[in-house]
Amino acid sequence: MRKLIENRFGLLALVVVALVAIYGVALASRPPQVPAKIADPRRVTVQAVSAVCPDPGGATLSVVTPPAAQRASGLAKVTEIGTDKPLTTRDVPGDLWQKELDDKSKAVRIDAAGDMAAGLEAAQTSRATSGAGRGLAGTRCVEPGAAAWFVGPGPASADTTLYLDNIDEAPANVSIMLYAGEGPVLSDRGNGMVLRPGEHREVDLKTLAPSPLVMAVSITTATGRVTAAIKEEVTGGGVDWLPLAAEPAKTVVVPGIPAVAGRRELYVAVPGEEDTVVSVKAVLKDGSYALKNRESLDVPAGSTTTFDLSTGLTGQPASLVLTADRPIVAGLKITGTGAKPDVAFTAGAPPIDIGSVVADNRNSDKDHVTRLVLSAPFKAAKVRLQLLPRDGTPLPDPTEVDLPAARTKEIKLTGPKGGFGVLVLPEPGSGPVYGGRSLEESTKQGLLITAQPLALARIWALVPPVVPSPEVVLP
Amino acid sequence: MHSVTAIVVAHDGARWLKETLNAALRQSRPLDRVVGVDNGSRDGGAKLVAEIFGAGNTLTLPRSTGFGEAVHAVLERLPRVQNATEWLWLLHDDCAPDIYALEALLRVAEHNPNAGILGPKLRDWLDRRVLLEIGVTVNRSGRRDTGLEPREYDQGQHDAVREVLYVSTAGMLIRRDVWEQLGGLDVRLPLFRDDLDLCWRARAAGHRVLAVSDAVAWHAEAAARRRRRITATEGHPRRVDRRNALFVIMSNLPFRALVWSMIRNTVVSLVKTVMFLVAKQPATALDEVGALGNVLFHPLRLRRARKRRDQKALRALYQKGLRPLLTPPSAAFRRLADMVQGYLVGRGPMDSSGRHHAIAPTEDDGDELLNDDQGWIRRTFARPGVLLAVALTVVALVAERRILAGDLLGGGALVPVVGGASDLYHLYTGPGWAPPYVIAVAGMSALALGKTWLAVYVLLLGCVPLAGVSAFLATRRIIPYAPARVWLAATYALLPVATGAVASGRLGTAVVLVLLPVYAALAGRVVSGSRRAAWGFGILLTVGTAFVPLVYPFAALLGVLALVGFGGFRRGTSLSLAIGLGVPLVLLGPWLLQLVRDPGRILLEVGVNQAALADPRLSPESLLMLNPGGPGAPPFWVTGGLAAVALGALLLRRHQMIVAVGWGVMILGLLVATVMSRLSLAGTWPGVPMAFAATGLLVASALTAHRLGEFSRAGGAKRIGALLIAAVAFATPVAAATLWIRTGVDGPLTHAAHDPLPPMAAVTASEGEGTLLIRPDRGRLGYTVLRGRTLLIGEAETQKPPGLDAAVAGLASGRGGQDVKVLAGEGIEFVAVSGTIDDRLRRALDSEPALIRVSLSGNAGLWRLSTPVTPPSAADDGDSTHRMWLWGQGVFVVLALVFAAPGARRTEVVEEEYAEVPVGVLV
Repeated sequence: MRKLIENRFGLLALVVVALVAIYGVALASRPPQVPAKIADPRRVTVQAVSAVCPDPGGATLSVVTPPAAQRASGLAKVTEIGTDKPLTTRDVPGDLWQKELDDKSKAVRIDAAGDMAAGLEAAQTSRATSGAGRGLAGTRCVEPGAAAWFVGPGPASADTTLYLDNIDEAPANVSIMLYAGEGPVLSDRGNGMVLRPGEHREVDLKTLAPSPLVMAVSITTATGRVTAAIKEEVTGGGVDWLPLAAEPAKTVVVPGIPAVAGRRELYVAVPGEEDTVVSVKAVLKDGSYALKNRESLDVPAGSTTTFDLSTGLTGQPASLVLTADRPIVAGLKITGTGAKPDVAFTAGAPPIDIGSVVADNRNSDKDHVTRLVLSAPFKAAKVRLQLLPRDGTPLPDPTEVDLPAARTKEIKLTGPKGGFGVLVLPEPGSGPVYGGRSLEESTKQGLLITAQPLALARIWALVPPVVPSPEVVLP
Repeated sequence: MHSVTAIVVAHDGARWLKETLNAALRQSRPLDRVVGVDNGSRDGGAKLVAEIFGAGNTLTLPRSTGFGEAVHAVLERLPRVQNATEWLWLLHDDCAPDIYALEALLRVAEHNPNAGILGPKLRDWLDRRVLLEIGVTVNRSGRRDTGLEPREYDQGQHDAVREVLYVSTAGMLIRRDVWEQLGGLDVRLPLFRDDLDLCWRARAAGHRVLAVSDAVAWHAEAAARRRRRITATEGHPRRVDRRNALFVIMSNLPFRALVWSMIRNTVVSLVKTVMFLVAKQPATALDEVGALGNVLFHPLRLRRARKRRDQKALRALYQKGLRPLLTPPSAAFRRLADMVQGYLVGRGPMDSSGRHHAIAPTEDDGDELLNDDQGWIRRTFARPGVLLAVALTVVALVAERRILAGDLLGGGALVPVVGGASDLYHLYTGPGWAPPYVIAVAGMSALALGKTWLAVYVLLLGCVPLAGVSAFLATRRIIPYAPARVWLAATYALLPVATGAVASGRLGTAVVLVLLPVYAALAGRVVSGSRRAAWGFGILLTVGTAFVPLVYPFAALLGVLALVGFGGFRRGTSLSLAIGLGVPLVLLGPWLLQLVRDPGRILLEVGVNQAALADPRLSPESLLMLNPGGPGAPPFWVTGGLAAVALGALLLRRHQMIVAVGWGVMILGLLVATVMSRLSLAGTWPGVPMAFAATGLLVASALTAHRLGEFSRAGGAKRIGALLIAAVAFATPVAAATLWIRTGVDGPLTHAAHDPLPPMAAVTASEGEGTLLIRPDRGRLGYTVLRGRTLLIGEAETQKPPGLDAAVAGLASGRGGQDVKVLAGEGIEFVAVSGTIDDRLRRALDSEPALIRVSLSGNAGLWRLSTPVTPPSAADDGDSTHRMWLWGQGVFVVLALVFAAPGARRTEVVEEEYAEVPVGVLV
């Protein structure tokens, strides 16, 4: 050894051998390139839900929680806002509660906790066969939030009333922004509206902007949360509530267009600062394609545009896929046929990945039709339908529906006479599913109709993996 | 008419005696009588006295007789002289008077009829120009004060006849009646301070004590300087002196002043004891305490002594005229200033040379011989070290241009730096075992005026120039060839490890980079057995280990290898090494135990060890080129020059051993670096082992570099070869600096970090209330709880997981329920989200009824709980074990620092050569 070190070339050789060995070890142990893994979120059941039905006077109120796997604990309370005594308390999941409230009823809040909260869905549906408010008008009871979007006819073409409720314990500072056909409406009156805890307020949007024929409304709170709903009584007949529209996104799916004859009017708004071109694709029974001469529309920045799709859709069940290079919001007006037509609205909606519940459905018969319109615009899917009857009737067996990719399917719901809820649950491995539900009633003067896009059920919440990590303080 | 009797008391002083006796006989004013007393000398003193003074004038006493006793014995036998003022001239055997001494003394005595005691000016026996004393005084704690500078030459500057507190018995001229009135020297004080006592009493009796500068005597101070054995009393002269001083002071002060003096002397003595301990003079400290105890624990003796004295006269004297003669208190400050000054110039912290002005051997001033023909600036900047430091600083400043100024410094492994030294101190001493580097950073912050950011700024951003300077200075003794040192320091400072450490905010690596060369320098002295270097090495190794634990096993392994390799033939090496390696074990004990329980942490360094800061697929060529990868690492070929030169050094025929050792360190470092780099998913980064490897390589190469100089001087082909090699060698630092400047430091370390705690939360939250900070990152949510302020240095990596995973998950999902209540129960008042906030998280938080949104922007949001929160009860103030440990650690640090500090140099007792003093002709 010593001799080796003392020999100048011996030492060099020794070192080179060692270096080569380290090189080899390092090379052999070099790990393969792995793409950075994005952690998957986990599902947890929702533990508490509050919702507000904005104007249930004279309407049928339906409240349902989908059945739980085991015996449930928890309570759902239905209370008229401003009173202490609940209209009802429910503790059995899977059992639909329906009641027609008297005309003087004010807004109703529903508070559910524990297992009764997981998937709780409530809706109000009113029916009038005469007068200015003739028609079927239904809406989901909505959760309080800090932002809401609505798209539909403007105050110049309909009586538009905004219902705001603050059921939290903190005051809410609400701002209302309107995007009309000509651009954003600048109005001080919509800013800095403060709702005290428990306050209910109805705002006639005419007072904010009397002239828009079409509008997109953005309701945001600087602090606190509110529930918001807009009722439209369209000039020329027809009444309905505007469903909450999906937040501005570059791809928006407007689902749940039922197979009834009549006009289909698309509303698209671009809230941003730049104009955009929106390409429109319809997802129909037999495939998905751009409509002839209706391939795209230009929307100026900060404004709302309408687009007549009646000829393209021709009474088929459909969904629309809108893509743009700027975030957009979209909604659709469905006008029924008859001497006195009724209107219904649908709007951009999220995929119902973790399921959706519709509280109020009627059995389809000669005069009444309840349609479920389901679309799988991007990838084939399979959904399970579970009817949720009322009054403790045992649950019927679920049915399964296959949705081929880029197709829309319409299902006429039949069930118990009194009315029933329905749970729509995509099976694992399905592509994104969008849908809507419409209620129709044939009368001599014309069809009464209401519609709503399927909303994400409040059964599950997605939790990203959580790690305690002091790294969060790093810039 | 005067009659003078000289009394010379001899005791083992034959060395001086002959001259003293002759000098006494040679006086210009002849003596009337002479008496020699010999206190049982064993060196033939008695014979000498008898020879010179005559047998009739000689008295022989037992060996244990004190000076005072001897004089008393003489006076018993000495007949009185009639019709003349009788004077006694007391002389020590080592005190030779000048021939005019007696004449001068008597002249003054004549002019001052009430002068009872007169003393000459004493000069040093050896260096006869050096003044020893012209009268002496004491301060209130009994410290002698001559009022002279150490080694002050007598140039007549103090010449005058002066009233003094007392004069030494060496050469003291005292009237016989005064002596008899006072009862002479107190025989209970056989040695030291008997003179003080006598003169004090003389003053009290109304006699004057004068120092006469015209009379000169040369004094060897043999007893005080331990030039001879003292038999009159047992114990070290230092202790005897101190004891007697206290005793005399306390005997002669009036009662009230005595009480005050006792308190004062106790305090002063204890303080002095501590200082002597710090100055590593335990024997002196023991003497100090012993003297005090001896006086205080014998109150009866003190009482008897006081009784013997005329208290009334003493009190009158104290009130009337003693004060101006005592040393003024301001002198203490002057002395302290002198002491500090002495310490700073390396003379040791305390002058303990005892009672008299010992003549300490002085340092040679050879180093200070400066060339005066150049200006200061030219002189300074012509030094390679200064040039190197300036160049590296400029390079660093330019490269760090993006992070030189801004908001908060943070990012990478460094949490945004907030707080000050006191915050860190409280973190360290507070409940929970904070990592020990916190206190190190706190100490550095204290040096930076309490500003932690400044300390971190200097350490981290100044890491490159500091490492360069450290390497340059540390190798001063190892590598004499200056160009090689410049190359070594520049290459070392600009290693990829250094630039990487700056870019990633790795404070630990930065500190170790600066310390490594110092380790290398100290290690050499430790191996050669230096105890002081071992303590210093131990302390610095503790600091390095606290920042990067891996340093310790490396140092230990190399140390043991060195011991096996070289230690065998050097005494004390193993002990020194044990000290050096043992200090970190003791100082970091509990923390190291934690590490041993979780061995993975040994490979990590302080700060936030994110996996993203290391390259998990570090290429083998980068490893071999000492490039640790990650942010701030240059291309792998930058260090090519270093590798080439180091390989070339293998071919040299001389210095084979050094080169082999250097390469051994390199290979060892590379092996560890390879392992660490392959574990990088756990957050390890192979910077420190690479720094070790580079140190080995650099020292090996630089040590052989002077051969280049030889080649260059040889001329011809050799010269060209040498230039080529030098060019290759310098290519590494030049390329590294160029690339570093070109790319600049570009994160993750940034100076634009914001306080992660939103100001609203910081201001509003009351005591104990916290803020939940959430940050989405690649699909995951990280969270932490901040209470009142963001995480301090050292808190991030040791923070206990708040255990709120379920609640945070529930909150982030928006499922509703009890999650907010759980948070409220933990005292969390705010929920803050940083980073890009995705819609789902925002919606979830917005949908939570118990949360009120306070603010929201693109990359930050703040929510506040609407329900009242209950802050958890304050944690208890740490267990007693922790407290005791902190005290123990503090004491050990002080001890280690004392041992490592340059102490008083051990002056060897040299037998001084006494010059032969020409003996004059007998009168």
